[in-house]
Amino acid sequence: MKRAEMLELGDQRLVICLGPGGVGKTTLSAALALNAAIGGRAVDVMTVDPAPRLLDALGLGAGQSAMQTVSLAGLGAHRGARLRALKLDAKMTFDALIERHAPSAVARDAILGNRIYRNLSTTLAGVADYMAMEKLIELHDDSSTGLIVLDTPPAREAIDFLDAPRRMLELLGSRAITLLGVGRSAMGGRWSMLDLAARAVLAAFDRLTGLHLLSDVQGFVRSFDGMYAGFADRAARAQALIRDGKTLVVLVTTAEAERIDQTGEFIDALSAMGLTLGAVAVNRTMAPLPAASKIANADLPAALKRKLKRNLDDFGALKRRETAALARLRERVPAGTRLIAAPDLGREPRTLADLVEIARNLIAH
Amino acid sequence: MALPRLILVTGKGGTGKSTVAAALAMALARRRPTTLGDLDGRGTIARLIGAAHEGETLEVITITPHGELEAFIDRIVPLRSVSRRILQSRTFGYVTAALPGLEAFLMLERLRLMAGKAALEDRFAVIDAPATGHALELLAVAKGIRKLAPTGTLHRLSSAVEEFLIDRNRCGVMLTVTPEKLALREALEAAATLRDLDIECVGAIVNMAPTALFTAAEIAKLGTVEAHARLAERRRELNEFADRAREELELAGIAVTELPMLYEAALGAEEVEALSGRLETELLDRQAHEAESTNR
Repeated sequence: MKRAEMLELGDQRLVICLGPGGVGKTTLSAALALNAAIGGRAVDVMTVDPAPRLLDALGLGAGQSAMQTVSLAGLGAHRGARLRALKLDAKMTFDALIERHAPSAVARDAILGNRIYRNLSTTLAGVADYMAMEKLIELHDDSSTGLIVLDTPPAREAIDFLDAPRRMLELLGSRAITLLGVGRSAMGGRWSMLDLAARAVLAAFDRLTGLHLLSDVQGFVRSFDGMYAGFADRAARAQALIRDGKTLVVLVTTAEAERIDQTGEFIDALSAMGLTLGAVAVNRTMAPLPAASKIANADLPAALKRKLKRNLDDFGALKRRETAALARLRERVPAGTRLIAAPDLGREPRTLADLVEIARNLIAH
Repeated sequence: MALPRLILVTGKGGTGKSTVAAALAMALARRRPTTLGDLDGRGTIARLIGAAHEGETLEVITITPHGELEAFIDRIVPLRSVSRRILQSRTFGYVTAALPGLEAFLMLERLRLMAGKAALEDRFAVIDAPATGHALELLAVAKGIRKLAPTGTLHRLSSAVEEFLIDRNRCGVMLTVTPEKLALREALEAAATLRDLDIECVGAIVNMAPTALFTAAEIAKLGTVEAHARLAERRRELNEFADRAREELELAGIAVTELPMLYEAALGAEEVEALSGRLETELLDRQAHEAESTNR
């Protein structure tokens, strides 16, 4: 494979793997991290939802949510090699965040006991994304770590993850609080007609439902009042980190026709955010097909030869389908961004050796 | 047992949910008028079906969370110009973000209304739902809302949505699987979650199952053409795994229908139609037959 078609990892401190669900973000993240670690770097990889076998390979078996050191024995690792793996637990991260930032025990208990927080906090818009970001800052603060590889929650849209800090802040910001609340005097005179109308609708919604849901949401949002500065600070740092020159953003996708438009939207959304896309990695592409002439020359029964020919034709059709999809995808990838094909392993990756093999086809050395 | 009025099609990303949903809707539309609901918002479904196939018996509609929210606001604020401006206000956006699950809940309410309409007009509805994780979250939202709301209108509404979700005549989920370990695992987990939620799993489609070509004995003879042997072995493995997926799913009490891998360079309306023919004979005829023998 040509060097220009492979991923080059230089002095990056952070690699973020983004992409839709089911494309193998977690596997590629783990492969990248393992490869860099074997090369002699101190690497942390944070995964979101790995398959059980991969979890076992990384020492993150069921229920294990603390950082685990992965044994690199027998993989020919260079001096200084270190790999640690962590599985994101959004709920626990959120709880810890509140423990840390709450100005008082009363404020802390008010949040942890709030029915909205308890019932739905992790499904609340962007909470899992925000928590991944929060954990990232924590990892980044550890100066012993040379490289962080971040797998992200499966996204409907690219900005789900990258935009999480901003959305979270807006949610907790003063405008929403004022709108929901009975009016904080500082904001009292600055309501627009639209805000007033929106407020009326929300009041109508509350009446209609008879829920006092709004007052609970208000309570929830308001209990963050004293923590707003802390959150804003973290969010600003996260935004800076994403845009840092030593950060590489990799969009992971597959070459299925149904996925091309979605991937194109991801690319557009990233560029609209002013982010540089380091590479688009197309996972699980088909390996090159063998030549048909080999069948003709082989000493085999004619019936078996016909079957081999038919099999080759069948896979050939799938290969053409994939090539067409890749060509359509290439049109949507901005100039200067590499389009990298990560060939299919032909089996489910279950050991560190499998990950090494994936990385060998993906990363330039 | 007859098929429910509304079928949600879900599965792991990349298992061909949209293709299966389109093929299923096409097959159903040959018996009854059918609505195909697209939750994807990218027009994937419309492309798959092709304009020629849309017609009197098959309609395609797009359902988006934002659209449902708009419809909901329109109900509260009858003056359209005002309701539109409210929706555009940034503040309103923040607040709906803070109202957990509201949009998802309104989507479910929409599905309930669709199923009700389908029962009334003797139609079917097929929904191209999000991937398993998102879909199961969506289905659990009603329970969450009801827990949040011990009394009141929303409580009644969420109870109605929950009743709809567990009503085997109105609602069911069809899982899509490909011959891969991860896809199978996700389908089995989804089936278990659906059981917990008491939502009917109408079956699973093992999609992209390759037609068998080689026996193990034949592959053993291919030593001289190593690369071709690997390709043949790959096909045999996929084939074997499709069988295993069927066994494991059936063991879990899920009815399985197999759809073949189409070895075509492009997947378009013609291919979806071929799959729909397969579904008609393998799924709908069988269902009708079973329903008949139960009635007797």
